[in-house]
Amino acid sequence: MPLDTSTYSLALLRLDGRRWNELRRITAQITTQAAADGSSYLEMGNTKVICTVTGPAEAKSAAGARTGGDKAEVRVEISIAGFSGVDRKRRAKNDKRISEMQTTIGNAFSQTLFTKLYPHSTISLSLHVLSQDGSLLATCLNACTLALIDAGVPMRDYICACTAGSTSSYSSNDEQADPLLDLNTMEEQELPFLTVATLGTTDNVSVLVMETRVQVGRLEGMLAVGVDGCKQVREILDGVVKKRGHKILESSQL
Amino acid sequence: MPRTSPARLIPFVLSEKPAGTKKYSQGHYLVPDTNALLNALDLFENTAAFYDVIILQTVLEELRNRSLPLYNRLIGLTRSEEKRFYVFFNDFRLETYVVRDAGESINDRNDRAVRRAVKWYSEHLAQAVKAAGGSSKKVPAVVMLSDDKENLQKAKKDGVEACSLGDYVAGLEHADKLLDMLTTVKEERDMREARAAEALYQEYFSVSKMMTGVKNGTLHQGSFNVSPYNYLEGSVHVPAFDKSLLVLGRENINRAIQGDIVVVEVLPKDQWQEPSTKIIEEESMNKDENPDADDGEAVVTEREKRALQEEVKKVHSKSSEGRPQPTAKVVGVVKRNWRQYVGHVDESSVSQSAKESRKQQTVFLIPMDKRIPKIRIRTRQAGEIVGKRVLVTVDSWDRDSRHPVGHFVRSLGDLETKGAETEALLLEYDVQYRPFPKTVLDCLPKEGHDWKVPASTEDPGWRGRRDLRELNICSIDPIGCQDIDDALHARPLPNGNFEVGVHIADVSHFVKPQNAMDAEAGIRGTTVYLVDKRIDMLPPLLGTNLCSLMPYVERYAFSAIWEITPDADIVKSNFTKSVIKSREAFSYEEAQLRVDDPSQKDELTQGMRTLLMLSKKLKQKRMDAGALSLSSPEVRVEMESETSDPIDIKTKKHLDTMSLVEEFMLLANVSVAAKIYEAFPQTAMLRRHGAPPKSNFEELANQLKVKKGLELKVSSSRELADSLDACVDDKEPFFNTLVRIMATRCMMSAAYFCSGTQAYPKFRHYGLASEIYTHFTSPIRRYADLVAHRQLAAAIDYEPLDASVRSKGKLEAVCKNINIRHRNAQQAGRASIEYYVGQALKGRVVDEEGFVMKVFSNGFVVFVPKFGIESLIRLRDLATPEPESVFDAENYILKTSGSREVQVSLFEKVVVRICDVVEEKTGKRKVKLELIDPAPAATAAGNGEKGKKSK
Repeated sequence: MPLDTSTYSLALLRLDGRRWNELRRITAQITTQAAADGSSYLEMGNTKVICTVTGPAEAKSAAGARTGGDKAEVRVEISIAGFSGVDRKRRAKNDKRISEMQTTIGNAFSQTLFTKLYPHSTISLSLHVLSQDGSLLATCLNACTLALIDAGVPMRDYICACTAGSTSSYSSNDEQADPLLDLNTMEEQELPFLTVATLGTTDNVSVLVMETRVQVGRLEGMLAVGVDGCKQVREILDGVVKKRGHKILESSQL
Repeated sequence: MPRTSPARLIPFVLSEKPAGTKKYSQGHYLVPDTNALLNALDLFENTAAFYDVIILQTVLEELRNRSLPLYNRLIGLTRSEEKRFYVFFNDFRLETYVVRDAGESINDRNDRAVRRAVKWYSEHLAQAVKAAGGSSKKVPAVVMLSDDKENLQKAKKDGVEACSLGDYVAGLEHADKLLDMLTTVKEERDMREARAAEALYQEYFSVSKMMTGVKNGTLHQGSFNVSPYNYLEGSVHVPAFDKSLLVLGRENINRAIQGDIVVVEVLPKDQWQEPSTKIIEEESMNKDENPDADDGEAVVTEREKRALQEEVKKVHSKSSEGRPQPTAKVVGVVKRNWRQYVGHVDESSVSQSAKESRKQQTVFLIPMDKRIPKIRIRTRQAGEIVGKRVLVTVDSWDRDSRHPVGHFVRSLGDLETKGAETEALLLEYDVQYRPFPKTVLDCLPKEGHDWKVPASTEDPGWRGRRDLRELNICSIDPIGCQDIDDALHARPLPNGNFEVGVHIADVSHFVKPQNAMDAEAGIRGTTVYLVDKRIDMLPPLLGTNLCSLMPYVERYAFSAIWEITPDADIVKSNFTKSVIKSREAFSYEEAQLRVDDPSQKDELTQGMRTLLMLSKKLKQKRMDAGALSLSSPEVRVEMESETSDPIDIKTKKHLDTMSLVEEFMLLANVSVAAKIYEAFPQTAMLRRHGAPPKSNFEELANQLKVKKGLELKVSSSRELADSLDACVDDKEPFFNTLVRIMATRCMMSAAYFCSGTQAYPKFRHYGLASEIYTHFTSPIRRYADLVAHRQLAAAIDYEPLDASVRSKGKLEAVCKNINIRHRNAQQAGRASIEYYVGQALKGRVVDEEGFVMKVFSNGFVVFVPKFGIESLIRLRDLATPEPESVFDAENYILKTSGSREVQVSLFEKVVVRICDVVEEKTGKRKVKLELIDPAPAATAAGNGEKGKKSK
């Protein structure tokens, strides 16, 4: 879309024609790979991610000594396909951004899963990013939630994530600036934004990441919009899981 | 109706009852397509018509891809409340979204989208009116405006209300005036096609051919500049050649206009030439051209050809001695930098019979800028706009047209009236002179003129500020200065050193980054000073009141405070935001009197004496380091206070107190530059002055050597300064200044830049002989200083650094803009002085001494120091018939014989008669010089070789 973000004020429409509080289209499937313990495929707009879960399985370390302890360890591995972005680039194995995302996702789920039920074991989440168009971390979190449900790992509630930004840039005194929900790449490049994840229908925030600078005054509005977006995401994820449940029930009745 | 997040309703843009025309009496909304906007945006900006316009997203995007400046103007229109332009995002709406069919071109698809949107809109309106209970007769029409015949036909077929621009405008009230603003390109092209056009110019290369050529080095890209003396000579500076490439003659220039980015092909070496030593003006060459019928003629008229041929002959005869410059021809234009031009209609091109009638006719417009060729415009109001300053836009320059084709935009007023000339000047130098919009004024403090520094030091405004109200601070400025940027103080310290403070208006406190006021200031870039007018960068409330460091009141300031030894060495420096209270605002003269008066012994005066003493030492140090003392002709126009009519011209006097202020401002700038560079090595806003390439001085050095036996060394600024000092003629005290003026013109111009874009050695300021430099001391009138203020505030941890001055890319864009604005402001200021000098001399005849600055083969340039004017005397001005002449290019001597015998040589002192004439070519009142006599032998005999001859 050749219009830049500065035209937002013309008709309060964003680059892709959304209003400030609209999500992009989210589509998801679960049990996409029969061989995995759990798997999912999730699209948020043009950001597309595959997630597979292995485990809970017995922890194996290189030294052969038993690691872990009284609860399961959550391991996350993200690989971003070279063709996923606008320009093709190979990411180094130990890319800092990727390892930060891995840690963030790992920490979030080790709090939410009942890891105590699986001592001395490992739950591995493997994410493959096929296409990127903003809100990458949020998409990964949502895909993980679905895959873990598919794997049947007990958890407290869904972790649902989305991003929120602000049309005002850092330090401008524009009181009328709108917060924005679910940013795409172009918006992420220009505007301050945060990624927020909540637990189920509650307002409990389990992940909050922000790497850009924004005025403190803007933050509350962004967060409110983000949490509201998370609830919408939960409805959608819940729908996907229920649909899958119906299907299983139907096939078992036959 | 869309809502923003805090549920704020956006008001409707379009009016409920739009204006009607004869055809659409029920009222109508306009929907222009892209071509309509491209061809006639001027029309849409007109205040007489074109209200309630719907701009479709498809059109907006297409326009943006076609022309960014037009797009920006359109966005400006959509923001203006009175014009009621509404942007409809048709691609985001299901009913109006159009899928591109297989095999359909993108343009066709867009046209279809426009038609679909128009159709939907009219249906939607009909429904809405019905739902509201209105009668169907009252439904306003939705009219598509297009110049595309095919599109119009299709619209007719689809039952969409549509109209061509011409037809629509013809149905309006002020049709005559508006019709002129319609681009004539299309119809003319139609006409020409019918006549089987014969191309006058070479076709441009295709874009890909130019790109590959530039890449592999066979072609060169650069910006096209026209010589101010010879409209047939252009030059393009390209990195591959030291010297600029010359582009000679109409055919080689091939439709390039001053400022265009062109691609050139270098001609074979045997066609290389020296730059012209002849003055060629378009006016005198093609006086009798007929604007209506020029197709039959060749591109190059016979006279032009002859003028150039003489040139070539001369070069050949001189053979070895000449220093030919590479020549080139334009093979393509990468980017047109056309703007709107101001000029006047060539009266001779207006047919007498048509003057009264409203018949459309073609006339020539002669731009004020001599480097721009005549522009052909078609108008119905020829009779009215003769003798007026008019604004025109260039639309196109086709291969089959000798002159560019443009259209009339508006008239500024009668020639030579103050209002019209001032506005012309501002337009010509692209100075933003419109009043500040409301959004900008909204950024001002709510208290307005009553704003005061908060009394309580607990107030947030005092955070991080030092209380310097007790210091004896004063400001020294020119008489009548209202925007006082800077103030100074000095006091002795117990250890024998001095504390010296420079206090600068704290503009960054009031102008926060990225709000509307900041954006406006960033666009304006600088305050422009004309003789009788000042065009502010910031709203006057700030510039002349809240920020101005006026005496007796408390003001916020940004202070640089140094401890300086009596030998003017800096012990330490400190920067802080502060609150000050200036004790007095002096003019330079008052300050000088006070310092010189021994009876004044108060602290303020003592402080000024200390400053003066230190400034002299600082200056000496600078000079020792190799700083240049350059010169440019400076005069001041005295005006009558009531009528502001110019009455006299004075050259500016130099006072010690001026260099006092100057030295400390330089010191502050240098210290701040070092500080912000230390804090932000990649993004500091700095100012550099490149060392001029040696070749720039070749000409001057050679002239000095031949004429005066002096040597000009240019290898370093120090050497240059020394050799300039040595350029004295005992008998002629002004000679040194003359050389300095000429040397200044050989220099590069200083420029703002972002520190990350250059290597440290390139930071150097050549003229000031300083390693690093920035502008910090005039934030009220320069945007660069405001940026430096923000960076310094961040460097001392006063506030976080804003994103806009943190990113290299954004800073570079800012630098680019303010460099252009700065140059334009200077030129506008000079042009304003030139105009007023002309006015002051109106009706007077004065004999005055002048100096020959430049000698051509058919004329020479004389500079008159008393009035700071520089003017050309052509051979044909000397006597009629034009005297025969012999030009000795090696010795810079022009000898005439025949009807008048004179010998003129470079640097020579001559007596000229100054009177004023209205210049035919540009319509400017200008001073005209007439050679009376080469000066008497006693004063001008620099060395023996000058012969003095007179009639």
